[in-house]
Formats: sequence, C-alpha cells, structure tokens
Amino acid sequence: MLKRPTSRRKSRNEAIALNLVPLLDAMVTLIAFLLFSMSFLAFVSIESPVPVAATDDLERKLDEKPLQLTLSIREATSEIWSPFQHFKPIVLENTPEGEPDLGAIHGALVGLKQKYPRESQIVLVPHAALPYDLLVGVLDAVRLLGPTDEPVYAEDERTGVDREVRRLFPDVIFGNLLGGA
Amino acid sequence: MPFHRSIRVRRNRKEIRRSFDLQLTPMLDVLVIILVFLLKTAAVTSTTFTSVAGIELPVSESPDVPPESLQLIVTPEAMTLEDQRIMDFVQSAASVGTAEASYEFARGDLDEGGRRVVPLYDALVKAREKAELLRAKSKARDADGNPLPFDGVLAVQADKRIAYDTIRKVMYTAYSAGYTVFRFLALRKDF
Repeated sequence: MLKRPTSRRKSRNEAIALNLVPLLDAMVTLIAFLLFSMSFLAFVSIESPVPVAATDDLERKLDEKPLQLTLSIREATSEIWSPFQHFKPIVLENTPEGEPDLGAIHGALVGLKQKYPRESQIVLVPHAALPYDLLVGVLDAVRLLGPTDEPVYAEDERTGVDREVRRLFPDVIFGNLLGGA
Repeated sequence: MPFHRSIRVRRNRKEIRRSFDLQLTPMLDVLVIILVFLLKTAAVTSTTFTSVAGIELPVSESPDVPPESLQLIVTPEAMTLEDQRIMDFVQSAASVGTAEASYEFARGDLDEGGRRVVPLYDALVKAREKAELLRAKSKARDADGNPLPFDGVLAVQADKRIAYDTIRKVMYTAYSAGYTVFRFLALRKDF
C-alpha cells in the first residue's frame, strides 16, 4: 500500500501562496487612471483688474494727489514716475540685449517701497511690441519681493505694530488699456 | 492506482511549478511608490487648465495658484476659448516668403478703431450669457436672495512671443464684453 502524503505538509504550502494578481490589477488600473486624469503643467496666475475711469475719481485724485506709481516700458528705456511728482522720475536704460532691465526696475521699486510701504498699487504702461514673456517678467519684478531683497515693514492699521510686507506692488493696473499709446 | 507515479514525473512537476513562481513583491513595491507619487501630485495640481500643442508659455515666480475660470488661449496662429477655436490670425504680408512667419489680425476681425476683436467679443458675450443663465438656475443665492453675480474673470494663457498689443486688444474686448478681472497664466518657475 502506498503511503499518502501527510495533510499537514499540504496545508502549510497553501497558506503561503498569497494571490497578488487582483491587487496588481487594481493598482495598474489606478495608476493608468491617475496618469490620464492628472495635469503635468503647474500653472500660476497674475491677476489684474480693469482700470475704472470715473469723473468723481478724477476729481478726488486731483484733490488728494495720490502717489499713483507708474511704470512706463518704452522701446529703449523704462521710467518710474508719479503724475503728481511725489518723487523725481527714475529712468532706466534697457539691457544690451534691448530688453527692459528687470533687476534695475525691481531694485528701484524696492527703494520706493521703503519710502512708501503702504502703497500696493502700480500702473503699468508697456509699449505695444513688448513680448508677453517680458511682460510676465516685468509683472514679477513689480509684484514680488525676493528673499535677497531688503525687508520692508509697514504699520498694521488695526494693531499699530510694524509688520513685514510680503509683496512689492501686487495690484497692477494696465494704464493704456482703454486708450492711449 | 492514483499514487503510482514515477519519481521523475513528480520531480518534473515540481520544476514546472518552480519556474512559474513569479516574484511579485518587488513589482508591488514599485507600483505602490508610483501610486503614492501620483496621488500626491494629483492633490497638488487641483486645477483643470489645459493647454494646446505648440504653445510656448512664459515662466513666472508668482506663488498664486489660479482658481477655476473661463480660459482663453492665444497662440501666434489662433485663439481658443474653452477648447473651441474662435478665430485664426492671418499671415502678415511682410512675412510672406520669409523663414519665420508672423501673424496678425484679419482686417474684418477688428472694429472700434482696431481695438476690439469681433469673434472674441461674440464668444465672450455668449459665454457670459451662459454663465449668467446657470447662476440664475442655481440654488446658490446672495444675502438678498438674488442669483450670484457674474464674476467676470477671464484667464488668459498666451504664447510668450505674443506682443502686448494683442494682449491689450484681448483685454479691451473682454472689458467690452463685461469681464473686469484678468488672470495671466504662466508656468511655475521651479516645475
């Protein structure tokens, strides 16, 4: 009579055999779904409102004479000025490549922010041929404070305590949108 | 006699079983890592902004992530509003026969002294009317019980070679159609 294999050995073998195939199926399906559904482009945005032209506003401005910081980007130079002459206009030459000197613009604006820490608005007047790439560069230069920039402090209206300002001039309005050069 | 098999047959069967014994554990490890990475990335990029082939986007250091809004894509050849091509630029007379083609607005596409883009205006008005209709039908109301007002936000995704003059025309047209806030989209610098 032949000896039959013991049942103990058989059961031990079955317990080890883990069926990973359904798990693998589920994971492959999930990975495929995620790969198809996700976006590999990380977008950031720069917001700008439309300038509002109102007669009351103009009269108020003529009365109050606000800073109204303006940056004009011309073909050969860039100029930072105030229509109510709060400071002497700053004229900056383009780089040898013929592009606006973003570093110099940013540096000059950081200096003005130190002088007017509570001002957040800037009027931007680019020339018609300025490429969008450079326009985004200019927007970054006027809106953001870098880690190497000198810190700017402004008094908090509610608490009266000085607080570090995180942005340079974040509210950008296009000055020549509704008309003009 | 069921248990009367030769030793050779038993050995062969054992070998066959061994040859099919696939090691799935390392593969599972790799898949789990990929899955975790994809889930984390998917959680970070929550917006559904898409792009079109051939567009070269500028890079920005802005930390602001754009929320959902109507999207206009401007390439050197055409304009696309919410995945619908609304107009094509025409090749400029000066660039015909040259190595690098440049494009401009067709004469009939502009009005108001060349400041407003007619096909874009029509498409934006249609999109605004649709948004207002959806808001009127929606259950979401303001404090006075009125439908929520139209937000008037337009996200602009433009090729980096596009001149400001074109962007200005786009903004003026959008303003004429009732849009009051522009979101310029760019690629995140460190991505």
